Amino acid sequence: MGRFLLRRIGLALVTLWLLSVIVFVACEVMPGDVARSILGPTAAPETVAALNEELGTDRSVAVRYGDWISGVVRGDLGESYAFRRPVDEMIGQALWNSAKLALLAFVLVVPLGILGGVVAALYEGRAADRAISVGGLSVSAIPEFVWAVAAILVFGIWLDVLPVTAQAPPGSGVLTQIEYLLLPALCLVLVLFGYLARMARAGTVEALDADYTRTAVLKGLPRRTVIRRHVLRNALLPTIAVVATQTGYLIGGLVAIELVFNYPGVGRLLVRAADQKDFPLLEGTVLVIGVVYLLATLLADLAYAYLNPRVRFGGAAA
Amino acid sequence: MDDAKRRVDELRRASTEVENHLIDELAAGKISRREFVRRGTVLGLSLPALSFIAAACGGDDDDGEASPTGGTDTSGADPVQGGTLRTALITPAGALDPLTVGDEGGLAVLGQSGEYLAWSDDELVLQPRIAESWSPNDDGSVWTFAIRQGVTFHDGTPLTAEDVVATIEYHLGNESNALSALGGVLSAGNTELVDETTVQFTLDAPNGNFPYLLSSDNYNLIVLPKTFTGDWESTFIGTGPWTLETYTPEVGVTYVRNPDYWDTGRIPLADRSEVKFYEDEQARVIALQGGEVDVVSNFSVAGGGALLGNPEFTVIELQAAQHRVVHMRVDMEPFTDKRVRQAMALALDRQALVDGLFDGKADLGNDSPFAPVFPSTDPSVAQREQDVEQAKQLLQAAGKGGGFTVTLESWQGFEIPDLAVLIQNAAEAIGVTVELQITDDGAYYGDFTYGGSRWLDSPFGITDWGHRGVPNVFLTSALGTEGPWNAPHFKNAGFDKLVADYVAAFDLDSQRAVAGQIQELLLDETPAIIPYFYFHLAATKNVEGVEPTGMGHFDLTRAGFVS
Repeated sequence: MGRFLLRRIGLALVTLWLLSVIVFVACEVMPGDVARSILGPTAAPETVAALNEELGTDRSVAVRYGDWISGVVRGDLGESYAFRRPVDEMIGQALWNSAKLALLAFVLVVPLGILGGVVAALYEGRAADRAISVGGLSVSAIPEFVWAVAAILVFGIWLDVLPVTAQAPPGSGVLTQIEYLLLPALCLVLVLFGYLARMARAGTVEALDADYTRTAVLKGLPRRTVIRRHVLRNALLPTIAVVATQTGYLIGGLVAIELVFNYPGVGRLLVRAADQKDFPLLEGTVLVIGVVYLLATLLADLAYAYLNPRVRFGGAAA
Repeated sequence: MDDAKRRVDELRRASTEVENHLIDELAAGKISRREFVRRGTVLGLSLPALSFIAAACGGDDDDGEASPTGGTDTSGADPVQGGTLRTALITPAGALDPLTVGDEGGLAVLGQSGEYLAWSDDELVLQPRIAESWSPNDDGSVWTFAIRQGVTFHDGTPLTAEDVVATIEYHLGNESNALSALGGVLSAGNTELVDETTVQFTLDAPNGNFPYLLSSDNYNLIVLPKTFTGDWESTFIGTGPWTLETYTPEVGVTYVRNPDYWDTGRIPLADRSEVKFYEDEQARVIALQGGEVDVVSNFSVAGGGALLGNPEFTVIELQAAQHRVVHMRVDMEPFTDKRVRQAMALALDRQALVDGLFDGKADLGNDSPFAPVFPSTDPSVAQREQDVEQAKQLLQAAGKGGGFTVTLESWQGFEIPDLAVLIQNAAEAIGVTVELQITDDGAYYGDFTYGGSRWLDSPFGITDWGHRGVPNVFLTSALGTEGPWNAPHFKNAGFDKLVADYVAAFDLDSQRAVAGQIQELLLDETPAIIPYFYFHLAATKNVEGVEPTGMGHFDLTRAGFVS
């Protein structure tokens, strides 16, 4: 177990370093000028030169990367070029916002998806199955920003029952914050439900077909107990993988949703940093998304192992 | 009436030669009352005196422009006192630093708690603010500003003329963004404190529009305390009608009314003002529809169609100078022959562009930066109309009767991609094949210098230009021989001379005379197609009295709820 963790962490560090190099190279290749993007197109050339010098963006690529990476090693992500604020502070706020939205989306979609998948599996081939499988898939196929606009029009403007932006006023309680986050979370539920339900359905179908289920049924356990004790546990396994892979998407990938709902999350920050060639902010944001992604998959693997004893750690797998 | 005449004569005696010339223009009916007031404020005549003279001389009240009504909306009931106004504003592009702000979100925030020497209002009239009055010497090379007394900063420190000098020198000495307008006009060290209430500016060359360059049009120049050294974000220090309550980066700013504001007529009606940042235009429009905000400070016809024609919302339309420039490099094939450039310009149906792209909410452009909104524009210059036959003949005469292929470059923003397609279609009608290369803004603008920017290097491109209170930058920087952003590489000594004359002129008559010549010259040479100047649009719901400007500032002092 210890060796497994060490190896995973080592691999994660290498991955993150590679990521930082890729982002850096991309930043250099991307056209545009940092001071220009801050000052606007009609700034005087000497003003632009002065700001580039002040920001240090007139220095060579290697010097800037060295400067940045040595800061990161010491736990300092640097300061945003455009906003002149510490990057960790900016990302921290955005990450917290993204986490709240992701959490609410998961809290809603995981039970719904599992329930839908299990029901579909139990009624395999029948109307309920088809409704859940085909319906879920069709709903997932529509991009989240289309749902966002539709949801805003229906619930925010016509029915006027929910706020049209996701950011609750400062100092709001948990319930108010949930009220504000409900519409974007709903859009995410629509997008994720189909995938999750299909995974849960596949797991359940497989479990229903397995020898141990037949044994349990044959030894006379009531159907409800069989499903709860033997089927559900196995049906959960694939959903863990889904949750893990979707975490990366929810933290950092929700650009359209965050823009439409005006929610200051990681996705919006990332796009803005890329747009302005705000190198420290871009590097920091990508690294944080990378860490979240790696952590999510690591936790998923651990949970998987816990639920499925057939997975063994230490290289000599399964 | 005799009384009035005597008073006008008294005022004349107290006025300078230039000022008297202006009064003559009005009396002779050469300019309308509105233009008289506009020019008069530039020269520093006080508003009451101007109205008095205008009334006595009987200037025509209506200058006949078929323009949208500016600013104050008179459709609803009077706004009431109190409440919290919520405004949706585009998220500022960077730190809120008076030195570096260069975007609409940033400048609008500077203008809430900060104040300028003068305010360039929705009709491009200068309203005195920190400066009480101003006047030029005989040739417009030295300007003297009287600084208002009894103004205090939000921290209680009284404002003095020293603060004004310090603010200007702070910008000139720190390579501020304000140099894009002041560069080549006012150099560091030439702002002089004459006495406690007087500041004198000695310019590098005569400039008839200098007060505009110190007004809200040059949005970086909010007056700061002389002790200011930076970190404006932590205090939002200024002398304006709103004082900072809280600032949350990327989320918004909340303000409270400044009860000690010097202009008792402009102490805000509302108790508080919340300015909320929205990165996305759609989100801003939705916010107004969904009741999250009461005011949207700026939206486009393409993005805010839902707000137009809906009686729930009050839409404020302002004529403005924001436009697109379709440059044609005069030093590169296929555009070295001016007949080819004229043919391209003649191929366009401008009214159709304005109707299709802006639902009619734009002025027609006449291939010069002289927008109809500028008082100095000569309206007698004939509008270029679509003429496909003439365009074909011109191509034939230029030896390009068989047509040619050219690539039109630009970026994915505003209505530009649609305009590019419409140009492509129009060109096809005269046998010219236009290939489109639409990238993102970073790729198109590059590093904004010759040799490193598709904007400045491409033979054929579309560039977006924002509003300015006077056309000077459009003329000198974007079309002048020495201009840093001369995308068509237009080098014409006659043009440069006319522009220098225009910049130096400060009575409207001579400005307009030179403007007419510049307009004719540009129509003939056609280094660029300027198809339209589109309006600035703002919208409110249950709120009246919001006063936006073409630059993107908005004045909320007289705004309030109506029930």
